[in-house]
Amino acid sequence: MSALRWLAAFAVLAALPFFLGSYYNDVYRKLLLWITLALGYNFLFGICGQVAFSHFAFYGVGAYSIVIFLFQFDLPFPIAIVLGVALCVLVAAAVAIPSTRLEGFYLALATLALAQLFIVVLNEGGAVTGGTGGLANYRLPDVFGLRIAGPWYTVVIVALLLGTLAVLLRLDRSWFGRACRAVRDNPQAAAAMGVDVARTKVIAFALTSALAGVAGMVYAFVDNTVNPPIFGLDNAFLILFMVIVGGAGRHAGAVVGAILLFLLPFFLSPLIGHHHVLVFGVLVVAAMLLQPRGLIGIYDALRRRLA
Amino acid sequence: MKRFLAVLALALVGGVASAQDTIRIGVITDRVGVSKPYSEPATEGLIFGAEEINRRGGVLGRKIELLIEDDQSRPDISAALARKLIDQGALFIISMSLTPATQQQQTVTMEAKTPQMTPMNSGDTLTTQLPNPYFWQTGPLGSIQIATLLAHARAKSLKRVALITDNSDLGQLLGRFFKAGLEKSGIQVVAEEVVPRGATTATPQMQKIRAANPDAMFMAGVLTAENVLIFKAYREFGLKFPIHSSYNLSVPVYMSVAKGLIDGVTFVDAYDPEKPEVKAFEAAYKKATGKDPFNLHGYGYDGIMMVAEAIRRAGSTDKEKIRAAMQSLSYAGVMGARGMKYSFPAGKRAGFDPNGMVVRVYEGDKQGRVVHVGQK
Amino acid sequence: MQDFLELSVSAAASGCVYGLVALAYLLMIRPTGIINFAVGEWAMVAAFGGYLLLSRFEWPYPLGMAAVLGFMFLVGWATERIAVRPLVERGAPLLAPILALLGMLVVFREVISVSFPPDPHPVPYPFGLGRLELGPVGGSYQSFFIIAVTLLVFVAVWLFFERTVAGKSFEAVAIHRRAAALMGINLSRVTALSFAGGAGAAGLAGLLVSPNISAHYLMGVPLAIQGFTALVIGGVGRVEGALLGGLLLAFAEQMTTRYAPIPSGYAQGVPLLLLMIFLLLRPTGLLRSREAKA
Repeated sequence: MSALRWLAAFAVLAALPFFLGSYYNDVYRKLLLWITLALGYNFLFGICGQVAFSHFAFYGVGAYSIVIFLFQFDLPFPIAIVLGVALCVLVAAAVAIPSTRLEGFYLALATLALAQLFIVVLNEGGAVTGGTGGLANYRLPDVFGLRIAGPWYTVVIVALLLGTLAVLLRLDRSWFGRACRAVRDNPQAAAAMGVDVARTKVIAFALTSALAGVAGMVYAFVDNTVNPPIFGLDNAFLILFMVIVGGAGRHAGAVVGAILLFLLPFFLSPLIGHHHVLVFGVLVVAAMLLQPRGLIGIYDALRRRLA
Repeated sequence: MKRFLAVLALALVGGVASAQDTIRIGVITDRVGVSKPYSEPATEGLIFGAEEINRRGGVLGRKIELLIEDDQSRPDISAALARKLIDQGALFIISMSLTPATQQQQTVTMEAKTPQMTPMNSGDTLTTQLPNPYFWQTGPLGSIQIATLLAHARAKSLKRVALITDNSDLGQLLGRFFKAGLEKSGIQVVAEEVVPRGATTATPQMQKIRAANPDAMFMAGVLTAENVLIFKAYREFGLKFPIHSSYNLSVPVYMSVAKGLIDGVTFVDAYDPEKPEVKAFEAAYKKATGKDPFNLHGYGYDGIMMVAEAIRRAGSTDKEKIRAAMQSLSYAGVMGARGMKYSFPAGKRAGFDPNGMVVRVYEGDKQGRVVHVGQK
Repeated sequence: MQDFLELSVSAAASGCVYGLVALAYLLMIRPTGIINFAVGEWAMVAAFGGYLLLSRFEWPYPLGMAAVLGFMFLVGWATERIAVRPLVERGAPLLAPILALLGMLVVFREVISVSFPPDPHPVPYPFGLGRLELGPVGGSYQSFFIIAVTLLVFVAVWLFFERTVAGKSFEAVAIHRRAAALMGINLSRVTALSFAGGAGAAGLAGLLVSPNISAHYLMGVPLAIQGFTALVIGGVGRVEGALLGGLLLAFAEQMTTRYAPIPSGYAQGVPLLLLMIFLLLRPTGLLRSREAKA
C-alpha cells in the first residue's frame, strides 16, 4: 500500500467516530481493538502456526502495567509507556524462549496455564492490582496540555490499528514472514532450507505478544478501568474463533472474523435472546465444515467465479 | 402513494410520540455467563415489578418501558450497553450482572451523568472506588453481612474462627470484608481457605480447617457447586463446629442441591418470609406468573420500585432531579427485616440499612425462621 | 499421618476423574491425532443425564448409569459423524477437526444451558453420602467407588489394547495410519469407535464426579483443562499414562493446598506453575509410547 492509501484509510477510519453517537463510538472503538488483537493473533496462529492462549494475558499485562506505573507508582507518562512496552517484551520473551520449543498443542497448554496464572496474580495482587475489582478512578494524562477523550481517543485507537497492521504487513512480506509460513507448513523443510525454526517462533511470539500489550495499554483508557474478567480465558478462545471464522493466515480474514463475531451478540441478542451463543457455536462448526478457509475463502471463491 | 406517505408519516410521528409517552429504564443483565443463576430470577422480579407499576398507572402518568440488555458477564460489553441505553433515552440504568460489569458501567454513567443502581451486587467497593454521585447500591454489603452474623454469634464468644471462600470476584470481595469484620471484632482468623472454581473436592481445605480446630467456620463463597463441596467434606469428617454463611446460602437452590447437608447451618439473609410485604409480594407474583418467587426476585422487584419512586418524587424526567430524589429516598420494600428502609444518609450511596439483615438457620433442608435481626 | 492418608484417598478419587478425562482424549488422539476439547462438555452432558434419570425419574443406579453411558457412546459416534468425518475425508489439515470440535464444545454447552435452569442440579450418590474406614485409611463411599470403577475401566481398556485383535488394530492405526489401512483395517470404523469410546470415558468421568460437584452448565471447561493437563503429564503414548498423569496432577493440587505454606489463593497457581515447568523439562510426558522406545 502506498503512503497515500494509508493516509486515506486513516482519514476515513478516524473521521468516522465524529459522526457516531457515544454508543456507536464505544462499540466502534472496542471493535477496532478486537481487530487489532485479531490481526496480531492471526500472525501468531494463522501465519506462524502457533496455537497460544496467552494473547489476552499480554493484553492484560499492557493494560495493568500502564495503569500501575502511572497511578500506583506515579511515574511520568512517557516513562510509563516505555516501561510498559519493555515489560510486555520482557515477559513475552521470557515465556517465548522456553515455550516455543514446544510443539503444537503443548504450546497451547503452556500458554493456557500462563493465562490462568495471570488471572490468579491479578486476583491476589492486593492493592497493586486492586484484586477482583481491578483498578478504576483514573484518566488519561493530558498530552501537551490536551485532554484526549471521546472520538479523539478513537483516533488514537485507529492509529494503533493501522500501526499494528503496517508492522504486520511489513513483516509478512519480508523474509521473516516467509520463514514463519515455512515453519507453519513444514518445520523440518524450513530447517533444511536454513530457517532457524526456534528463533523464528520466539520472535513471532514475542513480537505479537508485545503488540497485544501495546493494545492493552490503549484499552486501559477506553473505559478508564481495568479488571480481571476482560483478560480471562473466554476471550482467549473467542479471538481464536475470530481468526478461524474469518480465515486463518489472512489479514483480511482476521478483520472480517473480528467484525462478525464481535458484533454478532449485539445484533442477535435483541432478536433471539440467550440463544445467540448457540448460533455462535453452530457458526464456528459450519465455518470449519463448509469453508475451512473461513469467510475470506468464500470471498475468494466468489471473486474467482466472477473473474 | 400519497396515502402510503401519510401512513408512513403517521407511523413515524406515532413512534416518536409513544417513545415520549413511556419512562424508559435500562436493565443490564446476564443471560449466558457466570452470573446467570442470580441475574435471571432477579430480572424476573424486576420485570414483574415494572408490570405492577404499569397496572397501577405507571410513573408521572406514563408507563415504564424496560430496555433489557444481555452483557454475557463481559464488563467491556456491559459498558458499551450502558451507552446504548443512555442513547436510547433511559433515565435510569439498573445493573443486574457481575460486580466488575457494574463497575465498568459506572465509568459511563459517571461521564454521562445518568443515574444507575444495582439492587443485588454486594461488593463494598462499588460505591467507594469511584466518586460517582449517580450510582447507588442497595444489595446487602459484605460488611453488613459479617457484622450481622457476628452480632448473632456474640453469645457464643467466638475467639478463633476459620474463613472459607471461593475464587469468584464476589467470593473474594466478600472474603476480604468478612476477614476485616472478624478482625475488627478481635476474633482471630486461624485458617483462611479458598476453594477454586471447578474444584472436584474441598477435602484439603477442610482438613486444614479441621486441624486449626476453630470455634466456628464462616463461609463467604458464592459459587453453589463449590459451597456444596465444603458441606460434603464437613459432613464426611463429622465436624461439629457451627457454620455461619454469607447471604449466598439464602438462595433456595441449596435446598435441593445440598439436600441432607445443611441442617443447622446459620446464614444471613435480606429476606424475612414472615414479613407482611414479603407475603403480599409472593402472593401477587404467584398470581401473575404462576411461579413461586424467592429472595432473588425480591432484589430486582425492590430495585425497580425504588427507581420508580425516585422518578415519582423528582416529579420530572430531569436526570439531575432524579439523582437528588434518589439520594434523599427512604423506601421500605420487600427485602430486609421488618420495618427496614433503604436510605442514603450523609451522601452515602450504599442504601441497605446496616441493621436490616436477618439471620436464619436451616432446619432440615428448609430455610427456617428468622432467629436474629440487625447488628445489635 | 491420618490426614495424609485421608487426603490421598480424596486426591486419588479426583485423580481418577482427571485420568478418565485424559483417557477420553487419549482414545481419540492415538488413532486420529485429533485433540477434542469437547470432552469436558461430554462429561457435563452425562452429568445432566445422571440428573434426569437418577434424580428426576429415580431410576435404579446401575440402570441409569448404563443408559447414560449408552447414550454417550451415541453422542460420541454422532459427533464424529458430524464434525470430524467430513473433514478427514476431505483431507483437511489436522487442525480443522480440532477447531470444529471446539465449536461443538460451544454447541453442547449452549444446548444444555438453554434446556435447563441455570442452577446446579443434584445427582445422587450410588451408595449415599457416607464414610468408609479401611484401617487407617478413610474416605467417602464415593471416593472409593470412583477409584474402583476407574481402575476397572483402565484394566479393561489396557486388556483391550494389549490382548485383543481389535485393540491391536487400534494400535496399528496409531502407529501408522496408511500402513494399517493397507493391512485391511477399516480406518473410519476405528475413528468412529474411538470417538464413541472417548465419549464413554468422558461421560463416565462426568457421571462419577457429578454427585460431588452437581450437574452444572459451566462444569465442562475446568474438567477439560484438568484432563488435558493430566494427559500432558502422563504422555499420550500409553493408556496407563493417562491415569498416572491424573493422579499426579490431583496429588500436586491437593497436597499443595494442604501442606504448602502459602496463602490459599496462590495455592491454585502452583499446579499451573508445575505444569509449565514440567512441559519445558519433559514435553513428551512421563511414559513414552511404544514406537518411541523401539
